[in-house]
Amino acid sequence: MLRFIGRRLVQMFFLFLLFLTLLFFLLDAQPGDITSQFLDPTIPAEIRAQLAERLGLDGSVWSRWWNYMTNFLTGNLGLSFQQYPRTVTDVIAERIPRTLFLFTFATLLSYVLGFALGKRLAWRRGGFSEHAVTISGVLLYTVFYPWFAIIMILIFSSGLGWFPINGFLTPELWRNAPFTGNEVFGQMILSLVIAGLILVAGSYFSRRQQERRPAQIIRLVGYGSAILFMTIFWALKPEMRPFASNILHHSILPVVTLALVAFAGVMLLTRGSMLETLKEDYILTAQAKGVPERDIRDKHAARNALLPVTTSFVLGLAFIIGGGIITETVFSWPGMGALLLTSIVSEDIPVAIGALAFTGVLALVAHLLVDILYAVLDPRIRIQTGN
Amino acid sequence: MVTQEKRPEAEVEPVEQIVEALWRVRLRLAWSGFKRNWKLFAENKIGLMGLGIIIFFVLLALAYPVMRTWGPWQDGTIYDPVIGYDAPVEDFEIVETEAEVLDPDTQMDAFTAQLWCFGAVAGDTCSIPLQPAPPGNGHILGTDPLGRDIASQLTFSTRAAFMLGLIAALVTVVVATTVGSIAAFYGGWIDSFFMRLADLVLLMPLIPILIVMSGLWEVTLPRLGVLIGILSGFGGTAIVLKSQALSVKVKPFIDAARVSGGSNMHLIFKHIVPNVLPLSFLYMMFTVTEAVSLEAVLSFFGLLNVNMSWGLMLQTAQTQGYLRTGLEFWWLLIPAGVAVTLLAAGFFFVGRAMDEVVNPRLRSR
Amino acid sequence: MTDTRTRSSRESILEVKNLVMNYELKDGGMVSAVEDVSFELKKGQSLGLVGESGCGKTSVALTLLQLQAANARVLGGEINLDGINLLELSPEEMRQHRWTDISMVFQGAMNSWNPVYTVGEQIREAMDLHWDPKPTAAEAYEKIVELFNLVGINPEMIERYPHEFSGGMKQRAVIAMALSCDPKVIIADEPTTALDVIVQEQILEELKKIQDELDMSIIYISHDIAVIAEITDLMGVMYAGKLVEIGPTAELFAKPRHPYTWLILSSTPSITGPRRALAPLEGEPPNLLDPPSGCRFHPRCPFATDKCSQEEPPLSEIGEGHMIACWNHEQVPVTLATAEDDSRSANGSQ
Repeated sequence: MLRFIGRRLVQMFFLFLLFLTLLFFLLDAQPGDITSQFLDPTIPAEIRAQLAERLGLDGSVWSRWWNYMTNFLTGNLGLSFQQYPRTVTDVIAERIPRTLFLFTFATLLSYVLGFALGKRLAWRRGGFSEHAVTISGVLLYTVFYPWFAIIMILIFSSGLGWFPINGFLTPELWRNAPFTGNEVFGQMILSLVIAGLILVAGSYFSRRQQERRPAQIIRLVGYGSAILFMTIFWALKPEMRPFASNILHHSILPVVTLALVAFAGVMLLTRGSMLETLKEDYILTAQAKGVPERDIRDKHAARNALLPVTTSFVLGLAFIIGGGIITETVFSWPGMGALLLTSIVSEDIPVAIGALAFTGVLALVAHLLVDILYAVLDPRIRIQTGN
Repeated sequence: MVTQEKRPEAEVEPVEQIVEALWRVRLRLAWSGFKRNWKLFAENKIGLMGLGIIIFFVLLALAYPVMRTWGPWQDGTIYDPVIGYDAPVEDFEIVETEAEVLDPDTQMDAFTAQLWCFGAVAGDTCSIPLQPAPPGNGHILGTDPLGRDIASQLTFSTRAAFMLGLIAALVTVVVATTVGSIAAFYGGWIDSFFMRLADLVLLMPLIPILIVMSGLWEVTLPRLGVLIGILSGFGGTAIVLKSQALSVKVKPFIDAARVSGGSNMHLIFKHIVPNVLPLSFLYMMFTVTEAVSLEAVLSFFGLLNVNMSWGLMLQTAQTQGYLRTGLEFWWLLIPAGVAVTLLAAGFFFVGRAMDEVVNPRLRSR
Repeated sequence: MTDTRTRSSRESILEVKNLVMNYELKDGGMVSAVEDVSFELKKGQSLGLVGESGCGKTSVALTLLQLQAANARVLGGEINLDGINLLELSPEEMRQHRWTDISMVFQGAMNSWNPVYTVGEQIREAMDLHWDPKPTAAEAYEKIVELFNLVGINPEMIERYPHEFSGGMKQRAVIAMALSCDPKVIIADEPTTALDVIVQEQILEELKKIQDELDMSIIYISHDIAVIAEITDLMGVMYAGKLVEIGPTAELFAKPRHPYTWLILSSTPSITGPRRALAPLEGEPPNLLDPPSGCRFHPRCPFATDKCSQEEPPLSEIGEGHMIACWNHEQVPVTLATAEDDSRSANGSQ
């Protein structure tokens, strides 16, 4: 297994270099550069040339590429043109927690609900409810997403006034805040991850129980301790709480909107995967063995149907930034997606490459994670990779 | 059954007629195959619904030339989707102060009136062109913030959406089927090359890459179609079709064809490709869904060089600030958004139903 | 097979009476899959059901376990297992009877294993569900070891996953699982079809040995008449959803009385018997959406008369335990048909 991961890591590294090269040439071919885009047009030509030299914009494409690659590998991603003189790393580091928070929240929500509903949908085939759920699922899945987000804002923010219209915090509240937004985000993500782990552990141990009753009790204990943990965690930080709840309030609508659309996709995928699994012979065997219906659905069918869903889950995490462009733009959420869009539109090329490269890293890590997870979930693969 | 009945006659008939009978038999077989698949497809109510949606949009696309040539939209200065202009005029009675306005639909205070009728005083009538105008006055779906007819824009854009979807789907099918079949047939480094290429394409988040592209070139609709087709054709679809082609490659009839002297190209295009095609067509439907949504997203962000599309209709309304105020200007928001969603869903429904025809494991029985 | 007579004097364990099962199609049509099937199985006896594919053998088996497809409709009959009519049980009651009273070795047992659990876990699951009281971990392990030894698998394999088993081992393990709750009846649906001939032979030997040791009743379902001949006491021949002939296996092989049995035996080569040209069975099985009137075999039957196309022959006894549904069974020759046989080519094909 370790050798397998090692080999994959080497492969990933070269794939990433290729990806980065591709990005570099794509963006290098963009018309104009910082000297024509961001500077006063009346600046004398020699100063312009001097600046270009200092920023490494002179020379051939290849020397620029070599410079970029060597700099990148030493962790120097350059300076942002638009937010000069901040470094790209700094700009990106500021945005990452906001995006991660929004999307891990929405993704977890959509996968848990989508898997639960999808497996039930496949189990009870036919009938009006299946058609109704499937049709609304497909409509949600294919919905013109920016439009859907606008409608959600119109209904819940402008109309009902439940949530703020946009942004990720209320500036007036934060003017004299003792924390930066990212410190609060960090704590929120931390608490969310720990609570999530508690839930996962709870469901893992409850699944190992043969009897229904202890399984239920363990699951309930899991829920309870997750809630308890959240309460204690935030009770210990009274001064941070109002700020956290301000961010939370702003995040509900984008999270729900995003989760609804992602949920539909997960539900349809789970249903398809379940339908294939239910045609397997071992389902008939389980029925012949007299296994109760619910156990057939959950222990035999859903357990196998989980595999493709897991893949899509992890790969979906990698597309956070691509998908984030729409959500973050419509909800004015200053995360990585919005950064990517503005940097490309305003030709802030170092930031654009940096953001895209980050997406690539995420995708590669996700691919690796899928392989590892598959090995854990599917014994057939476990053996092969073990050799 | 049919061929069996014919057998006795065929023995006495001249050779030419047997040849003719062969293509007839083929045609009949194709027709009966189509009928059988259609029956399976038609069992799926959701698939039929998707087909209905697509037909509805075909009619909508046809409505544009029909209405412009023979119908009531012949006047280009009013009904042109891009440069047309029409604003129904509403008369307001001008009163002295805001407090005196009893009915805001017909009255207006003198100060506000200066915006439209400079120099008007109380007692005058001020005529204000209404844009965006609600449905009525010959505009069945009203006009947009620039005074253009929404219904005309909607039908005009339908044609463009179909064209885009078709180009993207065709390019995907051609690229993915060829790549998948060749990779599966030759294996080895050719296979590795295409599969690593697919991995690389999959690494790229589609929307940002298209945004980058839009900065490089002028992205017109046909170019966008080709781009989506290439990205999808070399990416995920190629992987799926390759695994299908692999399962075809090991079938005995491939060996039979090889033994009887078929060249590699003959084997790939006469034997493997036709067996991969059903699955390709399935993925064609999903590509259309993707292309329609992507186009809308990109025009919504104003990144495409198109003169009119559903996404652009929403962008116009959005940038002019008509979408944040609630559902008051619903005709700017609803038709375009519903059109994108429904057309994408229509192709998706059909794709799903085809999936059940191609993949028997998904069927209910 | 020699002790058939002693076994027949024993108590009856499974009795199927006039079972009728149709598949309902979406357009409302009915496929007559099982029509008026009756047979009786005594304790320790084995019955083989043979017939062409689509003749309803597997439908009978699935109906016995009440596992028929969702569109199957049982329209009549009784399935009395040890005095209880399974057709009258609620789904929950039936669930409890499965595996303890009647278990099954499935067609294509290769895929009968859920790939994500170990074989031991899957056998244990059945025991946990049905043993009363539930076995402790040690008891369960002991039983599985015992079963593995019985079917000839190394007990070390208990904690292995199905994909680590070879095809023959999976099949043996499936048999072990079928035995795990000491069922009264086992149904083996094509138990050896997917295996190579040598493994097939071993497993059949194994099954026969187990049956004798545990005094079990087994129903074999196969299209392979040679398999049935080798291991069963009784043989039933099905055609187009109907049981056309049933009787002691040896007797059926020696003196087939139903034209269909006679023809399928004629189309089966025999190594030990005299050399002869094989007679092919012509025509296609009927469309069960609209089965032929009268005897369902009459369109393909060389001995058919007008009566056959009008009246359905009842299953009637012509010897001890030998039942047959045919109007003209006296005309069936005592020797098997050959390809040159004139009586066939005269009116054999449609």
